[in-house]
Amino acid sequence: MESTKLANGLSVVVAPDTTAPVVTVGVYYKIGFRLEPQGRSGFAHLFEHMMFQGSANAPKMQHIKLVNSSGGVLNGSTSYDVTNYYEAVPSNALERVLWLEADRMRALKVDDENLKNQRDVVKEEVRVNVMNQPYGGFPWLDMPPVAFRNWANAHNFYGDFADLDAADLADVQAFFKTYYVPNNAVLLILGDMKAEEGIALAKKHFGEIPAGAPPPFGDPTEPEQAEERRGSVEEKFGTLPAMAIGYVMPKRRTADWCAMAMLDQALHGGRAGRLHRELVLEKQIAVEAGGGIDDLFGYNGPTQMTTRILHKPEYSSEATLQAFNAVIREVQENGISADELEQLKVKWRSDYYATLEGGRGGYMPKYGLMHLLACFTLFDNEPQMVNTILDGFLAVTREEIQAVAKKYLRNANRAIVLRTPVKTGLPADAGAKEAA
Amino acid sequence: MATRAVEVANGVPGLAPERAVTWPKRTKARLSNGLEVILAEAHSIPKFHGELFFRSGNAAVNHRAPGLAEMTATVVRTGTTKRASRQIEEDLRRIGADLSSGAGADTSAISFAGLSEFAEPLLALVNELAREAAFPDAEFDRERRQKLEEVKLERTQPGFLASERLRKVLFGAHPYAQVSPSEAQVAAYKREDLNAVYREFYTPENGLLLLVGDFEAQEMLNTAEKIFGAWAGNKPHSNAAAAPANPRGRRVHLVHVPGAVQAQILAGCHAITRKHPDWVKLGLTNSLYGGAFNSRLVMNIREDKGYTYSPRSGVNALRQHGYFSVSAAVRNDVVAASLTEIFYEMDKLRSVPVPEPELADAQNYLSGVFSMGLATQDGLLSQLSTVALNELPDDYLETYRQKVRALTPEDLLATARKYLDSANMQIIVVGDRAQIESQASLFGEIEIYDAQGARLS
Repeated sequence: MESTKLANGLSVVVAPDTTAPVVTVGVYYKIGFRLEPQGRSGFAHLFEHMMFQGSANAPKMQHIKLVNSSGGVLNGSTSYDVTNYYEAVPSNALERVLWLEADRMRALKVDDENLKNQRDVVKEEVRVNVMNQPYGGFPWLDMPPVAFRNWANAHNFYGDFADLDAADLADVQAFFKTYYVPNNAVLLILGDMKAEEGIALAKKHFGEIPAGAPPPFGDPTEPEQAEERRGSVEEKFGTLPAMAIGYVMPKRRTADWCAMAMLDQALHGGRAGRLHRELVLEKQIAVEAGGGIDDLFGYNGPTQMTTRILHKPEYSSEATLQAFNAVIREVQENGISADELEQLKVKWRSDYYATLEGGRGGYMPKYGLMHLLACFTLFDNEPQMVNTILDGFLAVTREEIQAVAKKYLRNANRAIVLRTPVKTGLPADAGAKEAA
Repeated sequence: MATRAVEVANGVPGLAPERAVTWPKRTKARLSNGLEVILAEAHSIPKFHGELFFRSGNAAVNHRAPGLAEMTATVVRTGTTKRASRQIEEDLRRIGADLSSGAGADTSAISFAGLSEFAEPLLALVNELAREAAFPDAEFDRERRQKLEEVKLERTQPGFLASERLRKVLFGAHPYAQVSPSEAQVAAYKREDLNAVYREFYTPENGLLLLVGDFEAQEMLNTAEKIFGAWAGNKPHSNAAAAPANPRGRRVHLVHVPGAVQAQILAGCHAITRKHPDWVKLGLTNSLYGGAFNSRLVMNIREDKGYTYSPRSGVNALRQHGYFSVSAAVRNDVVAASLTEIFYEMDKLRSVPVPEPELADAQNYLSGVFSMGLATQDGLLSQLSTVALNELPDDYLETYRQKVRALTPEDLLATARKYLDSANMQIIVVGDRAQIESQASLFGEIEIYDAQGARLS
């Protein structure tokens, strides 16, 4: 793995691997929905769609056509603090893909018709994923307004339709000019190429793009939380009551952060995880109890470890919460055993390898490695951390896990959101049960 | 129909010479007890992926109870004669492994992945699940109650309601018509019924073990013989169900979901199985129609008209029968407009030969994406399982790209005429009746159901 910075400030990371004649290319920009402009909720994501709508030399539909017809796949995604664009193609298409990414980093060429088109597409995306789905957007869209006070962390990341409607072409070009500058981005090339070839091609296609002013970033800091926060939302289609409990996480890359990640696994790690075991398998209060830290390596601001529970209607929310609290109390009082910690570490290592190799749903080789390299570059300027980051997690002790359980899993550090069905699946005469 | 002229790109770099695609060597063997084993080395990470398939699934026991093979597979992982449920889950974590068990229409499977250094204990656990599952009463009761909640929940998902209705319409009395059990059917499951399915299906002669990853093939084969070799059992009897009637004439089947803010469209018709000689032709035709981002349907109803976020089409191959389908979740007020475009693009492929450059683009797409399976262990595993379960020729992976590239516009025209059966498509629309009924009924005689499957009109 090699990394460099071009004169215009663009970071470049190359990770050669000739196992398969496939190359994965990603461009990450350090801007996500957290710091999108106020009054323009959902804009970072809408903008991501606009990046496929045409650039100076590759007009609308050409970007997608040129990648697909080279034998490759492509997509983009928007998250809290980064937005990414990526392609996996047979390695003979590497230069073509770099040309395409450079063309849209240089200049976006879009019009009102493109914007209207993608606004419509995004609204159907929100309908299919959120508004027309049982438990759609729960809890990732329902939790932030309850848990956080700073607009950056608390607003609707998919966007209120009124805000999407208000977005115009001037917003698109301003956002592009502010954040989509080479000095706010990293280019990643992974797979079938030689390191020097990758870097030379990066210079050839991206080297002449002028640097921009360093982007201004809003302050995502949260005021100190002093008490438990609660909220509730209506569930229109599902009949099971749902609940999410989120605890604010420690700062990333601290010893507490590593310990919380292991505690997260102890609580949420599949069928062996304590919450699934207690609530679903043993007490059988919940139909689903899972969740955890969302994208541990990919955020750069306030976030939570969040549990999502769908429970049987014969148990009240309070009874369900009591059962959840008992699991938390147990780990605070007794910590975890040496044997459990050892299991967690082996699983952690195994999962880490899978992340490095794996794609999204299998169609993007090395997506995970790309994501880590990108985030470690943009947030820390240390892409080589992919080789050492495991050590911090494998060094976590039982004492540290118990300590972070006490320090962070406090009621005053959490928020609870209920998603309450409008229709109940419960017969009218059924009585409520108390959790054992 | 695109209303906007498509502009071309300027100065696009050409493609470099292609690098050879070399599929790894496969080691095929049969253990002393008849279990078929296929292994391939892939050293990308110090892990391996595996799948133990049994060539029988829900369809084979649908007459006993829908979903019975799936329920059997679910309970299999909850206890053996040697380990209780909790022990199984902790032992998996102890060796850094993931495991799941499930059943589709035609197969049951235990799927797993873990660290190479712990290959032996993971295979030993898989062996134990396949041979010594205990079906503990308490676990069975809990999983059945859990399943009841799941089947209730899926009836609130538009995508599920659409595919359930389409399968009923396309397959009638055939077991493929049933994608999921009803609550009453789940409530009637008995532990003994699961145990009977287990004893019949989970045998070495009915099995196929696939292993891909960071190991030495011969060594891994020896390990497999050591672990699975003593297991005995025969192939289950199977009676293929009578072929389903192929529904004639376009009809509309509306599933009424009060308050839906979007309409889920799904239309389909009978097609072919994976073994059929036309499979590659239909694959390429589908890719041009709606199987890729760059396909005609996506460019039309998403990129040009903005009716939907994720339109797509696909060929769904079950072992005995296949079907072609196209789906899109669209704005309520454009149901008729979307269906018009869905059929316009279908009929266009049926009547006008595909221009050569567009064909070449689609050929490149399909052959490039096919080779991506090489890059990850689970990608390779999935390619190998497709070949093995469908009894495709040994050189299928090596020759697929040539087959795709040999196709002509005439081939595609003939394929579209044969399989994109526009006149007989069965149209499912899931949504709020008041918003969409009049639009949907423009496309054929209409039947209306509620989410529970009861006919409303």
